[in-house]
Amino acid sequence: MEYYERKEKQVELQKKIQQSNMLNAARLRVLKAREDHVASLLEEAKRRLGDIVKDDNRYKKLLEVLMSQALLQILEANVIVRCRQADVPLVEDVLPACVQTVKEKTGKDVNIKIDPDNYLSPTAGGGVELLAQKGRIKISNTLETRLDMIARQMVPEIRTSLFGQNTNRRFTD
Amino acid sequence: MASQTQGIQQLLAAEKKAAEKVSEARKRKARRLKQAKEEAQAEIERYRQERERQFKEFEAKHMGSREDVAASIDADTNQKIEAMKHHVASNKEQVIKRLLEIVCDIKPELHPNYR
Repeated sequence: MEYYERKEKQVELQKKIQQSNMLNAARLRVLKAREDHVASLLEEAKRRLGDIVKDDNRYKKLLEVLMSQALLQILEANVIVRCRQADVPLVEDVLPACVQTVKEKTGKDVNIKIDPDNYLSPTAGGGVELLAQKGRIKISNTLETRLDMIARQMVPEIRTSLFGQNTNRRFTD
Repeated sequence: MASQTQGIQQLLAAEKKAAEKVSEARKRKARRLKQAKEEAQAEIERYRQERERQFKEFEAKHMGSREDVAASIDADTNQKIEAMKHHVASNKEQVIKRLLEIVCDIKPELHPNYR
């Protein structure tokens, strides 16, 4: 008699366990779908970077600003620049303007050389990498690294605009 | 002498009959007992079958309901995923534009502690 009671309880318990497992699996599926959406969005954004780069004028201005920003970050007197092979003439064009900007802001001169041996891969988005002290200090200011950094910071915002506000959240400050 | 033999014979016969009756009674008791035991066993067996049947019914019902629950959870999940897909598709453009805007919006600044 007790044998059957015990068995019945076991069956009940198993049923509850199975239900809980199924709920968990379902939630995980939903979360995975979310993750996939965000990843695909970032992929698409990376691809679009290539479109920006095609407009020469815009890209030139962009390069100038990128260079100046990187120079102000690295704050070294002798700097080597790495860019895409196709960008070398553009970079040479904007170099003097950048040096000027740095001189205005810091009062110091910078000595810039373009690295003739290593170029950024031509499939990359564009932008520059600065190296100093025999390659010991490196600042990567390519459009891709910028996108990565920004994406990482913007994940909460991306999440709310893609999936709506979280209904379970109670405090937002 | 004949009367003594007769009396003894009668006694003997009576004794024999009594012994027979006693043994008959004992056998009957034993038989009755065995019968009662068997009946009790049969009843136990019947009860056990009944319990087992009930239990199997219970189990079958539980398994059945589990299938329903699984189906409903699956349907729910698929619905959520579909809704998410639509929502994402409608807001994707905007988000990408914003991201690219921020990437291109660069302001070169010097660190405030530089000397």
